[in-house]
Parts: sequence; C-alpha cells; structure tokens
Amino acid sequence: MNGLILSSLVLPFLGFLFIFLSEKNEHRIANISFWFTHAMGISIITLLLIWGVSGFPNYEFEWFTLYQTADYRFPIIFYLDKIGAVYLFCVWAIFSIIVKYCRFYLHREEGYKRFFMTIFSFAFGLNIVVLSGTIDILFAGWEIVGISSFLLIAFYRHRVQPVRNALRAYTIYRFCDIGLLLGAWMSHLLFHESQHFSELADLFNNLSMPPAGYASLWLVSTLILIAASGKSAQFPFCFWLPRAMEGPTPSSAIFYGALSVHLGVFLLFRTEPIWSYYYLTRLSVFNIGLLTVIIASLSEKTQSNIKGKVAYASITQVGFMFMELALGLNDLVLIHFIGNAFLRCYQLLVSPSIVVHMLRVEGSTDSDFYIQDSHSRFQFLPKSIRNVLPEVLQNTLYVFSLQEGNLELLVRSILWNPLKKIGIWINKTPLTLKLIYSCSTFALFGLIILITRSGTEYIAIPVSALMVMTSLSAFSIKHNPIGVWNAIGLSSILAGVAIWFINPDALYDIGLFASGIIPAWMLGIVVLIKLLKNDNFATTPFAYRAFAETQPRLSLLLFLSFLGLVGFPISPAFLGEDLLLSHASNKDPWFAMPITIAFVINGISAARVFQRLCMGRVNELNIEEDKLKQVSKSN
Amino acid sequence: MVFHNDAETVLNNAFNIDASIAHIAHWLPAQGPLKDFIHHNTLHAVQNHPFHEGVAIAAKIFGARSYLSLNYYQNLYQEGRIKQNALTWAIEHSGCDHQIQEKLKISLFDDDPTGHYPPVSLANQGIRTSWLTELEFDLNSQVHPVLFRLLSNFLDQGISRWSLPKEGECFWACITRLAQNSLIPLYPLNEPFVHNLLNQSPDEVIKICLDKIVGDEKIYEQYLLEMLLGHPGWSGMVSVIEQNPKSLLAYREISLKELIAIELCLELAFLLKKKGHQFSAITDISHPENTPYLKEGATSPKIPLRLKVWHEAMEWSLHSELLIALKQSKPNTKKSIIPEAQALFCIDDRECSIRRNLEEVNPNIETFGAAGFFGIDFFYQGLDDAYPVAQCPNIITPKHLITESTEKPKPIANPQLKKIKHMHFSAHSMLRGLFYTQTLGLAYAARMAWDVFSPGSKLPKIRALSEVDTHSQLHLLRESDEPTPEGHLLGFSLTEMADKLTGLLTNIGLTNHFAPLVVVIAHGSSSVNNPHFAAYDCGACSGKPGAPNARAFAWMANHEPVREILRERGINIPNSTRFIAALHNTSRDEITYFDLHLLEQHPAPSLTTFQENMTEALDRNAAERCRWFELAPKKQGNIIAHNHVRERASSIFEPRPEYNHSNNLYAIVGRRQLTRDLFMDRRAFLHSYDPNTDSEGEIMAKILSAVIPVCGGINLEYLFSRIDNSVYGAGTKLPHNVIGLLGVANGVEGDLRTGLPHQMIEVHQPARLLIVIEQTKDIVDKTIGKIGPLKEWLDNEWVRVVSCHPDTHELSLYSANGWESIKLSDTSKAPSAESSASILAGKTTTIPVHEFIRSRA
Repeated sequence: MNGLILSSLVLPFLGFLFIFLSEKNEHRIANISFWFTHAMGISIITLLLIWGVSGFPNYEFEWFTLYQTADYRFPIIFYLDKIGAVYLFCVWAIFSIIVKYCRFYLHREEGYKRFFMTIFSFAFGLNIVVLSGTIDILFAGWEIVGISSFLLIAFYRHRVQPVRNALRAYTIYRFCDIGLLLGAWMSHLLFHESQHFSELADLFNNLSMPPAGYASLWLVSTLILIAASGKSAQFPFCFWLPRAMEGPTPSSAIFYGALSVHLGVFLLFRTEPIWSYYYLTRLSVFNIGLLTVIIASLSEKTQSNIKGKVAYASITQVGFMFMELALGLNDLVLIHFIGNAFLRCYQLLVSPSIVVHMLRVEGSTDSDFYIQDSHSRFQFLPKSIRNVLPEVLQNTLYVFSLQEGNLELLVRSILWNPLKKIGIWINKTPLTLKLIYSCSTFALFGLIILITRSGTEYIAIPVSALMVMTSLSAFSIKHNPIGVWNAIGLSSILAGVAIWFINPDALYDIGLFASGIIPAWMLGIVVLIKLLKNDNFATTPFAYRAFAETQPRLSLLLFLSFLGLVGFPISPAFLGEDLLLSHASNKDPWFAMPITIAFVINGISAARVFQRLCMGRVNELNIEEDKLKQVSKSN
Repeated sequence: MVFHNDAETVLNNAFNIDASIAHIAHWLPAQGPLKDFIHHNTLHAVQNHPFHEGVAIAAKIFGARSYLSLNYYQNLYQEGRIKQNALTWAIEHSGCDHQIQEKLKISLFDDDPTGHYPPVSLANQGIRTSWLTELEFDLNSQVHPVLFRLLSNFLDQGISRWSLPKEGECFWACITRLAQNSLIPLYPLNEPFVHNLLNQSPDEVIKICLDKIVGDEKIYEQYLLEMLLGHPGWSGMVSVIEQNPKSLLAYREISLKELIAIELCLELAFLLKKKGHQFSAITDISHPENTPYLKEGATSPKIPLRLKVWHEAMEWSLHSELLIALKQSKPNTKKSIIPEAQALFCIDDRECSIRRNLEEVNPNIETFGAAGFFGIDFFYQGLDDAYPVAQCPNIITPKHLITESTEKPKPIANPQLKKIKHMHFSAHSMLRGLFYTQTLGLAYAARMAWDVFSPGSKLPKIRALSEVDTHSQLHLLRESDEPTPEGHLLGFSLTEMADKLTGLLTNIGLTNHFAPLVVVIAHGSSSVNNPHFAAYDCGACSGKPGAPNARAFAWMANHEPVREILRERGINIPNSTRFIAALHNTSRDEITYFDLHLLEQHPAPSLTTFQENMTEALDRNAAERCRWFELAPKKQGNIIAHNHVRERASSIFEPRPEYNHSNNLYAIVGRRQLTRDLFMDRRAFLHSYDPNTDSEGEIMAKILSAVIPVCGGINLEYLFSRIDNSVYGAGTKLPHNVIGLLGVANGVEGDLRTGLPHQMIEVHQPARLLIVIEQTKDIVDKTIGKIGPLKEWLDNEWVRVVSCHPDTHELSLYSANGWESIKLSDTSKAPSAESSASILAGKTTTIPVHEFIRSRA
C-alpha cells in the first residue's frame, strides 16, 4: 500500500517531467500523457481496492524525515481515509476524462506542451493535498495547485485580460496562504508532534481537557477558515472564481468546476476536530456557507454569460457543503461533493452548446421558450418580486446581484488599498530620510535594550518592521522591476536577520533559507538586466512586454527565479520558510505575523513583475532599436 | 474617405457629435449576433482604397499584422509552392522603379523574423494610451468590466434569469434608473459629479465629459475612436444592433451614442475617484513622437514592400495553377446528350469536391452550381422554429413568408423526460439545484465518460441535420394577398414562382435538355458544442441550412401550372422530368432526400441509381476531407474515413467538425465543361453560366452581384482572420465563453470576439479570390458597368477578375486601368492524373490544380 500511495503521487510528477523533457511534438506528448494517466489510474484504483479489502482503515504512512533538529522535525507523512479515498477517486476519474478530452480538444494548439505540463503538475499537487498526512505537506500541494492555477488562467498570455485575472486569482490564493501558513504554524505550536491528521481527532476526544485554550483554537480555526474560503471561493472571496475562467474550457472545468474549488471543503474535513470543538467556530463555518449561498445564488440570477452562471451555481453548492459540514453531516457532504464536481465539470465542457440549445432545441420543443413567452420568465425581475417590492428596492436588488454583492470592492478596499497606500508613502520618502528613520529606530531600540538589559531579540522588532516596510515598498514600486526584485530580496534577508536576533542558534536553518532565496534573487537580477537592456522601462511601465515570446529562455529563468523567491516547494526556501516560522514560534509567537505578511506580499509583487514583463502581445515596439533601423533601411 | 471628405468638420473645428459617431461607426466590426453568420470583408472600412494600401491603413488603426511572416513565404518558395516566375511577376507589378526592383530581388531573401509585427497603432499606442501612461492609471481595466457587464446584461437574449431592461427601455434610461434609484450605489456612477451629470441628455454628457478628459475639440473624434477600439467587439455589436434592431430576437433599444455617453461617464467617475478634479487632460500632456494621429497617420500608411511582393507572388503562383490548366484545356465542342440525371448544387467550395466525386462515380450525371438559396428568397418558419429566419443572402430583404406544416400529429414529447435530458441547461431554483446536485451528480459522471470515450454513438442530443423530419409540407402557394402583421406575403403566386424559376434556370444555363431526374441539393452542417455553428452552414442563406429553398424549388418546378407558365416563356420541362430536393450535410457527409412521398404519383425510376452513386461519392468525399485532419485515418479506406468524419461531427471535444471554406481560392463562373476535367482540391466556388445566351452581360451582372459579396466576403474574412487571428479573427475557440447568446468572449469579462476562430482558418492559405469568368472581355466590361458599387471590389483589387474567352480560352486580367493579357510561359503545364484518388494519395497540404486524363468513351 505504501508503494501504491507513493506511485500515485510520483506518477503525475513523472508525467510532468517527461513532458517537460520531451520535444514539442504533439503525438509524443499525447502518448506520454496517455500512459501516465493510465498508470496513475491503475495505481489509484489498486490502492483503493486494497484499502477497501483491508476494511477501509484510516491508514497512515511515514515515508522519511526530511529534516530534523533537536526541537524540530519535518516528517513526510501520508494519510488515507474515507474522505481521502473519495477525493482520490474523483481526482482520478475527472483527470483522466479531461486528459482524454484535451488530447483532441487542444490538437494543434500553440502551448500544447505547456498545457499538459501544467495540468500534470496540477494533478501532482492535488494528489499531495489529498494524501497529505500533515498540514505542512498539505501546504506544499496547496502551493503547487496555486501556481498551476495561475499559469493556466494566464494560458493565453498574449492577451491582457487573462493575465490580469490570473494575477487577481493568485493574489487571493496568496492571501489565503497567510491563513494556511499561520494555521500550520499554530498547529505546530498547539499540538506539537501531534498535528498529524490521524492524531488530531484523538487529541480532542478527551472531552475533559481540550488541547488548547478557547482563544487560540478560535484563532487557528479562523485562519484555516480563511484559507478554505479563499480556495473554495466562499464569502467574501466569491468574485475571483468566474473571472478565473480564462484558460481553455476543459481546464476551467477541472479546476473551477470540479476539483480545485472543492479543496477548501477538503481542508475543513481534515481540520474538523479543530474547528468543530467549539460552537462559535462551528457557527462561523455555517455562517460563511450561509452568506455565500445567499450572495452567490442572487448573483447567479443576473449572470449573462454561461461560464459565470455555472461558476456561481457551483459556489452556491459549495456554500451548502460548508453548512452541512458545520452541521456534522459529513457523509452527505461527500455525496454532495461528488455530485457537484461531476455536474459542473460536464456543464462547463458542454457550455458552448448553450446557443444551439436555447435557440434551436429549447426554442423549438419547449413551449415556454424565454423569448416567445416573454411575459413569464425573461423579465427584469420575477413577477412575485415585482409585485411586492417598491421600485427602489427592486433596483437595489438588481444592482446587488449585478455587482455580485459588492464583494470585490469590499475586499479591495479592506485588504489591498491600505497596503498600497503605505507602500506609496514609503516609496515617496527620500532615501536619506528613510535612513534617518531606520537608524533612529534602531538606536532607540538599542538604547532600550541597553537600559533594560534584555536580550538582543528585541532588535528583531524593528528589523521585522523594516522587513514589512520593504515588502510594502516592493508592492507599490511601479517604474522599476529591478527595484522590486531588490526590495523582495532585501525583505527576505531581513526576515533571516530578524530570526537570527531571535534565536542565534538557528544560523544553519537561516542558511538553508538563504540558500534558496539568494541564488533566486541573483538570478532574477541578472535576467532582468539582460531583458531590459534595450528597454526604457520607466516610459511605459504598464505595457505588457511579451518577453515569453521574444526571449523564451530568459523568461523561463525569470520564472524559476520567481518560484525561488516566493518559496515554492521545489526550492529549499520552502522548507526554510517553515523552519523560520517554527523558530519564531518557539520564542516569540508575535513574529509569525509580520513574516507571513511579508512572504505573501513578496509573492504578489514578484508575480506582478513577471506578468508585466513576460506576457502580452508583441508589436513593432518590441523589436530592438538596431533591428528596427535595419528593417527600415531594407524597405 | 470619411475623414477627408468631411472637410467641414475639420475647417471650423467644431465637434459635431452625430457626424463623428457616423465616422467612428464606419471603423467598427460589422458582425451580428451568433444566430446568423454573414461572411463579409473584415476591412470593409477601407474598401475604397486599393487592397495593399487599405490593409496598411487598417493595420495602423487596429494594430494588426498585414501579412504573414517573411519566413512563411520564403518556406513556400523553398517548397516550390511559390514559383520563380510568379516572384518575377510580382516584382514587375510592384510599381517601383528598376533600381529598387533589382535591390528587392536580393533583399527578398534576407532573414527578418520581426518585419510582420503590427505597427504602432491608434488602438494601442494612440493619444489615449500615452495619456493613461502619463497618469499611471490603467483605466481600461477599471471601466471595461463594469461596462461589459452592463452591456451584456442589457442585450442578453436569455442566459440570465433576470433581464436588465424593462420593456421598451433604452440603454441610457435603464442605466440611469439603476444609478439614481437604488439603495446600493451602481459603482462607480455614485461619484457625485458624475451622478449629477446623469440628469442631462447623452449629448450634453458627452460634451461635458470630453471637455474634462480631452479638452480640445479637434481631437474629440480620435479620442472616441480610440476609446471604442479598446473593445471593438462590443462597440461593433452595439453599432450593428442600432442599425438593424431585427438582428436580435428580444428587441433592445441601444445606440452608439448612449454607449459612448455611459462609457465616458464611467471613465470620468473612475478618474475623479482616483485622481480628484485636478487630473491633467489629454491636451495638457506631451505625447511621444511616434503617436499616430487620425488625420495624418491613418491616411499615409507605410506598406512593407517586401512582404507585399511576397504576398502577391504567393497569390499569383496559386492563381496561375488554375490559369495554366484552363488555358491548356481543350474547348469542348462535343454535342451534349441528355444525361441520366442532373444535380444542382450550391456554389459553395465544399461542394466542388462532391461534384467531382459524383461525376467520377457516374460520368452520366451532369452537375450545376448556383447560389445556395436557388434564387428563391423568403422568410422561413419551420414546424419547430420559434421565429422565422431569412433564407437568402443578407443583401436581399425577402417579402415572402413560408411556413411548414404537417399532416401527421406531432408526437407528444414527454415533457418530464425532456426536462431531465436537458437538465444541465435549464434554470433551477436554489433548493432544486441543491437536490439535483445531491442526487444526480454521479449520473453526470457516467454521461461525461460516455460522451468523451465513445463520441460517435448516439445519445439523445441535439438532432443532427440529416435526421430532420422529412414528412412535412411547405406552405408555398399563396391563397390571399393579405400580408401578415409583420408585412410578409404568405407564400408565392404562380407567376412569382415562374419568375423565380426562370431567373435561376437562365442564370445557370439549364433551359433545355432536362434529364428525367433533377436533384436540387442544398447544404448545411451539423456540429456539437459549437457556438459558431451558423458559420458552418450555407453562406448564401445567411448561415442557415438551405433545405427549405431546395424543397421550395423542387416543389415549384414540379408544379404543373408553374411549368405551364415556364413553357410559355420557352423553358420546356418534359413531363417525365422530376425534381427532387435534398440536403447535403457537409460535416457528416450525409444526404437527406425530401418529399419522397410525392413520388408515389410521379415515380422517378432513376432515383435509386442516383442514390447509390451519391452514397459512393459521399464516401469518397469523406476520405478526401480526412487528409486535412491530422488525426484522421488516411489509408484505411473510404468507409472508415466516413465513420471518422461522422464521429467528428458528434464529439463534444472536437473543435474542428470540418474545415469549411478553408481552401477557398477560386470562383469560376462558366460552363461545367470548362472545369469538369480539372481537379481543384475543393478550392473553387463554381457557378454555372452559359456564355452564349448573354450578349449584353445582364445575366453575368446578376451572378456577380451575388458572387462578389458572398464568395468575396467569405474569402476576405478567411484571409484576414488567418493573417491576424487575434485582431481580425476570434482567436482560438478553446477559452470561448458564450455571452448573452450574442457572441463569444474570452473568459467572463472579455470583449466580444469577431471574425473566425483559429480552428476554422489554421490551414487556410490567405490569398485573394480569383474570379474566372467564361466570357469575352467586351461583355465582361458591359457587366462591370452594371454592378454599381461592387465595382469597387474589382478596381481596388479586393478580388481579382480574369476573363476566359469561351472559344479560345484566352486569358486576360482585369485592372482599373484596363485588361492585361496573361502570358503564361509555354513550358509550364498543369500536372495530370488518372483519377482523384491517385492525386490525393499521401498528400497533406494543398494540391495544385491537376488535369484528368480521361479515356473518353
């Protein structure tokens, strides 16, 4: 069984690698994807069969320990139970249908290879999430799913709008990562070694003595809930889901119709013992579901495009799942999940048929065709509402539904605008003034430490403040991509420094973290300098420069550098991030907050630079100057 | 033209809203809602310029490519598809002096991967863009989602559950109602200054907003144009609906002026919210040197010479392939004997190959071609149709309405069953939705797996065209002259019928020697999961299958009183002759015969043989089409190939049910003898015509007035969609999302995409249409004098015209300066072959015209 679990995980990754290494030959890629999908299918089905035969146990498997110090252990643990099995089955079924579908659907499409690579890495991430045994592993899969999602939304990178929406979805993902990262860290803190999913339930079984206090449990639950609602597009993040439908239809179907959107529910399943312990947290899960159901079902009424309509219908159902979870109806949720996943997937796949369906089939055979029978159905508002509500409330209802509950405005004004404003203010301040401020802050803290004779760790307070400020400044630098990259690098280094102050023993771990960040940073700077050699960036900071088309190699390097900087699970920085957090947690829990915020904002700023530079459509202006002269001469 | 001939506006600098909007509307795409698809010249706005100049102007406005990459042409040259003599021809015709020509000969082979990139353009690098860069404000990303949402909800034809407008409300009134009378503000129109503006008329609002944003009346028009070109799809859709409100089923009142007013309000509101009242207007900032201006840049285009010459060389190479074959073919003097059967097809290039295959199967069948509405224009409302549709090219507005009726009682469909079948599309209440997803989800797993893994099989789905119930009647004969409430006449009178028939039969030169069986074959195409379905149907029927026209034609021609009148006019249809209507499904390669029950009274014994021949021809045709599909079986025989194309037409994951007009290149108007011995690889629109009966060019004028806009429109739409698929075309189909049943967009909040999707044009060789007319130069000159505004197409070379002398096959090329005799080198000969099958074996790209060596019996 252990071998099967591993092979179910490794096969999609191998598929990804093989496709990555293969040449851009459609037949070969189709073949690779065919074999790996089937191999993965066999592995998953056998695994489920054996698991079924052995009596549906809650099965845990510790592979090896990735990293260990005296007070820290990072084991690789996988876990399979009823919930995991259901999810695994759906992943297999939908993934193989979609792969088969896409082998023909994407025929001759530019980016065939890119698509299959991304979709295999998505399957890899998904399997990690589903089979993960601890929150840390789950987080790794979560990140992989997030990045592949970003890449698939921006699949048509020469158009502005997919790129913009990809970034929008990515920022939400990134924000919700705060929840998961902090949640993971807090569960380390609260449950120590016992944060395995298998052991969570037992911890809470002892009714007389809860494993943690009310406040901290409430905090962990809230963090987890934020992560879950972000991924599942629940209140208040509903708006990103319809806008993410930018990639090829089958990719939207598998991500946003079927699988990715139900990951929030999965997270809640896994952490159920934590948030269901107190009624208050249970109630907040219920309320999120309820609010989502109300807003999403109202928004669905005025969706004039088919994919948006399916998206809101799906969100509504996920909202119901949240409510059912809060009520403890777990089996019902599983059935509901299967139903919703398959139905939405199918609806999205056949969504182009809507025109024929409405104009030819429905128009001909159903007597109550919308347009012919305009008095009953297709009207401003249903008759019942029109008769009851006064005009002004009718309009209000419509505007509410049209603006999808104003959620996007709400999120933007609460989350991003303040951050941007601070960042702009920082960037406006002249360098000398900045130096003076920071020096005087350090001096002040130094003084306090000297006077109170407390440890050096308090120096970490201004350092971390500086770190957050640098991140915010990166967030709002517009004219200088190298500046952004530097600010991100600096902020990451400051994070290391702060940890060092807090815990001088952690030098080795900080080194590990830095070994991921610094090369990525350096690489990024070199690539950026090369890319922008002939480009006066500041004159047109908002143009999309399409380097992915004109300079594919450098763009790939920039992407790798980006992954390194954001601590993607391929980089040692990923483990480093986790280590830094754990060091912080042992001594100064407050530090987790600024460092997470900095990580998240850094990720967003880096993604933004990447998309401005590498995506977009080429035109005359992208030709380098000297070439341009040559052309005009020869003409 | 629009810009310079309006000197008045320029002179007194006064901004006239209506005049400016008229100018701007001219530049917008003219593609209507999805349900009809009318091919037209994508660059109709510059049709008054010579082709290359027009294309360059458009490139400067829209920011599009004008040609394919240099590399593409050079490769074709390496492969021998562009001939050296065509290249020489193109250099000679380039219009440069000798010195440059010599230089050109060398520089043509330089390496230049970027020369075809789009130029700096009004749409992308105009004054508006440089102003927004200066302000550091991505205004489009703020305004567009809001605007598109309002527009799509306003125009929606039935996707959303609640529609935006109340009955009879115009766009402006509707938006102001929501903005002014709602407790939740309609963002961003709640900005106080803009909110107050909404009390004024759209005209006033436009002036006030432009004054604040632009500040100089001279460039108002350019600003508005740039703003609308930021979303050409929606602007074009509004303009089309304003000019032709009937193109929508659910009527909507909207105008470009209202759109502009609302968009300006949104822009101003966002600007004020973000920048306060102190932002600098467009006149306040300095623009980069290369900023294009409407008065200068748009009318003084730079034509990339090398690409132009290469493009012409490619076109001339391809055109010569046909011309050589025509020149060497022997003028046919054989006396015609009465054939076994005659088949009348649509002019469509997809019928070019089925005609050849049918004649190969049975040489005693004679085929004709005519525009697929067969000269009978009417509105048609089938048994199951919710509304009547026009069955004719869109240049004609029909006066008659034909309805379908049946004697058989309609089978009572079980409404409950129907609901379940299409449940995934019907609207549910929230709780019902909850219940359904809970219970029926797994059923969809099964259904999805079934659809994906065994596509050819039949599930109860949308009916394929060939399954259309054929046991109904058309109500053709008019009983009273009272028009319907919509002003249509219900059916045709006998004289009208005779007029229509005379018209078509003289056009195609079929006025005597009728065979005992005449099959009138319309065409349509069935596909699933395809919002562009209408673009696959008959272009001469405004994107509908032509079955009703064929049925009407056959019925009229069989009707004894009509034949009576025809006889008086000298068209003598023998009593033994029967007309049969049929429909060729071009994607599945299947045929349906209509009204066979009428044969009980007048049997047509030769029909059985014809049907057998047709079946064989269809198999061959399917196999021939398979060579274009990369993943299709190539060598396993016709039956397997035929199964493959059927499967293709019914798979939900197949974005290419067929390649439509991808091969179109030639249009030949003349007798079938001229082309019967040629293999033309589905590249030709074929219209039958008898040169001997048309001394004044009258008939030719009628034919050309359909051929030029319909075939020329198809050709140019394919050409431009191929050359720049992301500006002129609709991009790839894969991410398309259906918006309001009107059009498709990328994603949820994108602009509508116009033109053809990538999957329709990817194998197309973008060359202009060559119209070959079998008629003397003198008569063609007379004809050209009679076609009115269509002359522009020929004079500006948007299509090329060659006259082929009916007796000598001497060829001359038309240009605005007169005829040029075409000299083809005597050594070049068209390749020859025994049969289609021997030509096709192993070929995957386009094939030059071949001549058949036939042992003539």
